Amino acid sequence: MSEVSLENVTKRFDSTVAVDDVSIDIDDGEVMGIVGPSGCGKTTALRLVAGFETPTDGAIRYDGEDVTHVPPENRNVGLVFQSYALFNNMSVLKNVTFGPKMHGVSKRERRERAEELLELLDIEELADRDPKTLSGGQQQRVGLARALAIEPHILLLDEPMTGLDAKLKQNLRQELGQLLEDLGITTLYVTHDQEQAMSMCDRIAVMNEGRLEQIGTPAEIYEQPANEFVAGFIGTANLLEGTIRDGTLSLGFGEVDAPETTVEEGDVTVLVRPDEIPVGDGPLDVEVTNLFYQGEHVQATAELPDGRELTLRLDRSRKTVGTGDTLSIDIDPSSVHVIQSTE
Amino acid sequence: MSERFQQGSLSARYGRPFVKLVLALTLFFLAFPVVMTFVSSFASDWFGVFPTGFVTTANWEDVIVGTGVGADVAVGSSLVYSTGLALGGVVINLIVGVPIAYAVARYDFWGRDWVNVFAILPLAPGIILGVAFLRTYPDLSTSGIALIIGYSLLKAPYMVMAVQSSFQSMDLQQIEESARSLGASWPRTFLTVIVPNAKTGIIAGSIISWTLAAAEFNFSYIVYSRGTPPLAIFLFNNITNASFLNAAAAVSVFFLLIALVTIALQIIGNRGAVRRI
Repeated sequence: MSEVSLENVTKRFDSTVAVDDVSIDIDDGEVMGIVGPSGCGKTTALRLVAGFETPTDGAIRYDGEDVTHVPPENRNVGLVFQSYALFNNMSVLKNVTFGPKMHGVSKRERRERAEELLELLDIEELADRDPKTLSGGQQQRVGLARALAIEPHILLLDEPMTGLDAKLKQNLRQELGQLLEDLGITTLYVTHDQEQAMSMCDRIAVMNEGRLEQIGTPAEIYEQPANEFVAGFIGTANLLEGTIRDGTLSLGFGEVDAPETTVEEGDVTVLVRPDEIPVGDGPLDVEVTNLFYQGEHVQATAELPDGRELTLRLDRSRKTVGTGDTLSIDIDPSSVHVIQSTE
Repeated sequence: MSERFQQGSLSARYGRPFVKLVLALTLFFLAFPVVMTFVSSFASDWFGVFPTGFVTTANWEDVIVGTGVGADVAVGSSLVYSTGLALGGVVINLIVGVPIAYAVARYDFWGRDWVNVFAILPLAPGIILGVAFLRTYPDLSTSGIALIIGYSLLKAPYMVMAVQSSFQSMDLQQIEESARSLGASWPRTFLTVIVPNAKTGIIAGSIISWTLAAAEFNFSYIVYSRGTPPLAIFLFNNITNASFLNAAAAVSVFFLLIALVTIALQIIGNRGAVRRI
């Protein structure tokens, strides 16, 4: 049975449809990510699960039970915000024991539980500190400990790493991912950062303009995007228009065998990821128009013979490549994914 | 390097010292009368430029004991009475003003801007409000209730503005929603999380509105009819009916009171900022 589910949920604010007929089932112990650009409805979806918004249509269920109209304080959800929203009038320890206290847990037990969580998150020495004096990373851990202290039905994370620097974000991402896996807690993780979602979530729901575009594992979303939006939002995408006739995909500048899984005939849009285009040996020559050094690799923009642009990923051994150089590439039929018929 | 860069511009060279000088002069201009009044309250004469005949407590005795020279009543009773009246006004402002400040800072509702305007604009001057009260509730003027209500109405904007400024510096929505997700009801969230987080603004608002209420003259003068006079009336009687040195002692009582209340509220505010569980 699904632990938490949104069933055909719609949320309107006056004439604006923030969430449009969205259905998501989050399994017991699963980490579900919701990603999408700003204003896509992902935070509204989280607020609907938390109980801070009531759906215009549809239902929210916990373990099959309809909680659509249950107030947030009775839903037992752990919430961590981007700003952490720690209570500055209380010490760190008191922040963490606040939730259990509201749930009627005895003083001794809530103190034990808080100390256990602070130790688990490696911040036990901060127990008596004023939250205002903590760094962003420390505040994030306190916010997480506070949310976990109520042993929540579901943990809701709303962009919890947005304000952190890149290195800290990377470390915390690994730690948080490991923690969620160890605790086996059902989690809804809302972020606009697709890399975070890919590395931390068991499944990802991609939203755009209130609609659910696709839901699947990170690999499914990346390798088999349902449409152009998902292909473009998750990772870097080369979207090319072509035509399939008799098992052959014509891309204007050349032809390759159509992917075996393809059933469409006629005009199609295909996706080719930059990391799946071998560079250096191939029948197709492209001219490099732009180079972006990214440390671990170089991202290049190249012009195809028919004038269209293609993004390539070059390893660092090719750092001598310059703008205006010609590169030979190959497009392997196995790396071509037909994502949408344009007819 | 050009001479201009070596020497710096005129404003770079003299700007900071000039601003410091202006600030020091302004501060001196404002503080000097207060200091002189306090010092002169311990003098027996003031005929020349500066008071003479230090140190005497006769002026303070006149005011504290109430010898009949000035207000015909001891300062203690007026002080206690006004302290109570102003405190009553502050309590009403806390009960009404803090939720209004919160609602305006936190929620977007119909008429929000109007509520804000009415809450933070001192619409009626004390004298106008006093006349209105006297005409509308003639029987209330002797009970002190009119004074409490009037003080709270007149000083509410200071409370609302100070508290609102505290609320606006917080992420109210996320703090409130965090507390509620942890199991706290809305009233409990408001009282145990939101209000304590706005402590600085509440203390500042209380100090300002109490101080101004305790010294409110116009409204008190119109509404007060008999019995123990509010402090502002007491001070006025001392100033008009007694020597300047007696009046200086009476005014100094008020200065000291403000200083004590401010220090006490600051201590209360700083204590328990972070309490152990």
